Amino acid sequence: MAEIDFEGVTKVFGAGPPAVDGLTLHVNEGEFMVLVGPSGCGKTTALRMLAGLEEISSGTLRIGGVVVNNTLPKDRDVAMVFQNYALYPNMSVEKNIGFALKIRGDSKSEIKRKVDEAAAILHLEDYLERRPKALSGGQRQRVAMGRAIVRSPRAFLMDEPLSNLDAKLRVEMRLEIARIQRLLGVATVYVTHDQVEAMTMGDRVAVMRDGKLQQVDTPQDLYDRPANEFVAGFMGSPPMNLIRCRVRSGEDRVEVVFGDQVVELPWHYTSSHTLPPSGVDVVVGVRPEDVLVADASSTNTIKARVERREALGSEILVHLSHLDVTVGTEVATRDDARVSTLVAKMGPRSSVSVGDVLSVQISPEHAHFFDAVTGATLREN
Amino acid sequence: MTTLATPPDTAPLDDTPAVPDRAPRRKVGRWILFAVMLAIAAVMLYPFWVMIFTSLKSEQQFLSGGGFSWLSWRDLTSVIPIGQEILSSTIVCSASILVILVVGLPAGFAFSKLRFRASTAVFLIMVSAMMVPLQAILMPEFVNVTRLHLTGGYLGAILVYAALGTPFSVFLFTTYFRGVPDELIEAGIVDGLGYFGALWRLVVPIAIPAIATVTVLQFIQIWDDLLVGLLFIQNTNERPITVGLAVLAAGRTTSIPELMAGSLISAVPAMVVYLIFQRYLVKGLTMGIDR
Repeated sequence: MAEIDFEGVTKVFGAGPPAVDGLTLHVNEGEFMVLVGPSGCGKTTALRMLAGLEEISSGTLRIGGVVVNNTLPKDRDVAMVFQNYALYPNMSVEKNIGFALKIRGDSKSEIKRKVDEAAAILHLEDYLERRPKALSGGQRQRVAMGRAIVRSPRAFLMDEPLSNLDAKLRVEMRLEIARIQRLLGVATVYVTHDQVEAMTMGDRVAVMRDGKLQQVDTPQDLYDRPANEFVAGFMGSPPMNLIRCRVRSGEDRVEVVFGDQVVELPWHYTSSHTLPPSGVDVVVGVRPEDVLVADASSTNTIKARVERREALGSEILVHLSHLDVTVGTEVATRDDARVSTLVAKMGPRSSVSVGDVLSVQISPEHAHFFDAVTGATLREN
Repeated sequence: MTTLATPPDTAPLDDTPAVPDRAPRRKVGRWILFAVMLAIAAVMLYPFWVMIFTSLKSEQQFLSGGGFSWLSWRDLTSVIPIGQEILSSTIVCSASILVILVVGLPAGFAFSKLRFRASTAVFLIMVSAMMVPLQAILMPEFVNVTRLHLTGGYLGAILVYAALGTPFSVFLFTTYFRGVPDELIEAGIVDGLGYFGALWRLVVPIAIPAIATVTVLQFIQIWDDLLVGLLFIQNTNERPITVGLAVLAAGRTTSIPELMAGSLISAVPAMVVYLIFQRYLVKGLTMGIDR
C-alpha cells in the first residue's frame, strides 16, 4: 500500500495544448480516488502517466514517496484494469489471473493459492478453465479485477472499467469493486466520465476539465459546495440549474432578478458569499430538488410554464420555462443558453402537465452563486 | 326469385401483396454456381491429370499415345537425386521462412504499436520493396552474395529469399497487429513484460493466422522458385528440386514421363503445406475486412 502524489504533473502531446496541465493531487493510503470529467479532460492521460504508459512532460509523480517519473511500468508495482478488460484471449481465466505472478517468478503452488483466493473473492471458481471469449461482460470484468488484485499491488488503477457493461450489471459491479477495494485497502485511482459512479464509489472525487483539476472533495461536499460553475453543472443528475440573473441588493435584503421576476433571498447570503454590487450579473445555481412548487398565492416565487415532463417512476423531472415572462425586460439573459430551462425534481404523484403555469420557489437555503465571468463560486471559505 | 351475390372465391384476408416464392430461383442459381465452380476446378486440375497420366507411361508409350507403365517413376531416382533435392528445398524453404518470421514479427509489431520518429516513412520504404521485381535486383544481389562468398551452398539463397520475402511479411504483420488492441500489450507491460515479452507471449499466440499466411505463401513461392536456386546454390549436391527438374528438362534427351513424375513429387509438399494451413490462410488474407 502506498500514497500517490501528483505534483504539477503536465503532459503535452506534440504542439497542442496540454492534455494534463499542472495536476497536483494527493491520494492517501487505502483511499478510493475517482477522477471524473467529460471526454478529453485528461483523466485517462493522468492515469496512464501513473501507470507508466505515458511519459510525463513536467512535474513530479510519486508512489509511496518515491519519484517514479522515469520508472518502468513493471517496476511501479501498480495494477491496472482497462476499459475493455484487455484479457489475454489465448489464456484461460486461471492463467489470465496468474499471469503477472508467473512473470514475477512466483512458484506454481503460490500462484495457484493466490489465484484461488482471488477467484473466491470474485466468485470465479467455476470459470477458471474457460477462455475469455466464453465469459459474459460481467465475468470478464471480474477476471480483469482478479488479475489486478492477485498481485497485491501498491495501487489499483482503473480506467472506466464499467463503461462496457449494461446498466444493471454496472450497478452490481460498482458495489463489487467498492467492496473489494475496501476489503484490500489499496489506494485506488478510478477514472470515469459517469458522475453517478464517481459519487457512489469514491472516498474523494477529483473533477477535471481541459486538463486542469477543478476541485477535489468528498462526493457530498462536491455536490453541496461546488467550487465553480463547471463542477456544479457536472456533478448531479439531472445537473444543477444554472441561471444567469442580476443581483439587486438593498440595505437589509438581497434579491435576484429573473427576467421581470424578482426573488428575495435570505440576508445571510451576503455574509456567506461575496455577492457583486447591485446591477451586476451572477449565475445562480439551484439543484432540481431545490426547485419547489408553491401555491399560486405565495410570494417570492417565479412563474414558469411546464415544457416537458419525464416520469422516471420514483420521481418526475419537470422542465420549466421561465423565459415566457421575460420578453422585453431589462435583464440581458435572452442570449445565454444557460437560461433556457429550469429542471425541477418532483414526487411521483405530482399532477403537473405540459403547459401548466406553476409558481416555483427556490429553496432559500440551497442557492449557489457563481461569478458570471469566471464561473468561480462566490461562496466564502 | 332472388339471387345471392357470389362471394369471391379467394378473397384476400388483408391487402398485403403475396411474397413471390424465391426458392426455385435460388435453387437454379445454386446449380449454376456449382457448374461454374466445377468448370474452374476442372481447369485447375487438368494439368495435374496430364502430369499423372503422362508420368504413368514409358517414353515409348508416351510417344505412341497408349499404355501404362511405372518405368518413369522407377527410373526417376537414378536420373536425378530427387530425395536429396527435396531435402535441399526443405532446408532452404524452412530456413528462409524462419528468417522472414524472425525479422517480420518484431518489425510488424514495432510499426504497428510503437511510436518512433519517421516510422511511417520507414514502413512505406520497406513495403515499397514488394513492388520491385526479383529480376531487377538479381544481379546486384548476386554480386553482393558472391563478394560474401556465399554462392556455394544454402546460405546465399536463404539470405536472398529472406530479403525478398520480408517486406511482404512486415506488411502483413503490421496490418494484422494494428487490429490487436493496444490495451492488451499495455496490460502485459503493466503486468511486468517488456516489448519483446509482450510480442512473444501475448501477440504471437493470437497471430497464428497471419503467421500461417506468411508461411504458406512464402513456402509456395520459395519451393517453386528456380532462378534464385539456380544462381545462388552452385554446389550440385545442395541444389533444390526445381533446379534438379530444370536439369532434367535441359538434358540432351528429355524423358517427359520422368519430368512429369518429378514435377508431381515436387508439387506434393506445397500442396500439403497449403492443406495444413488452409483454414488459417483464409482468415489471414481476409483480416481487416470486417473491421
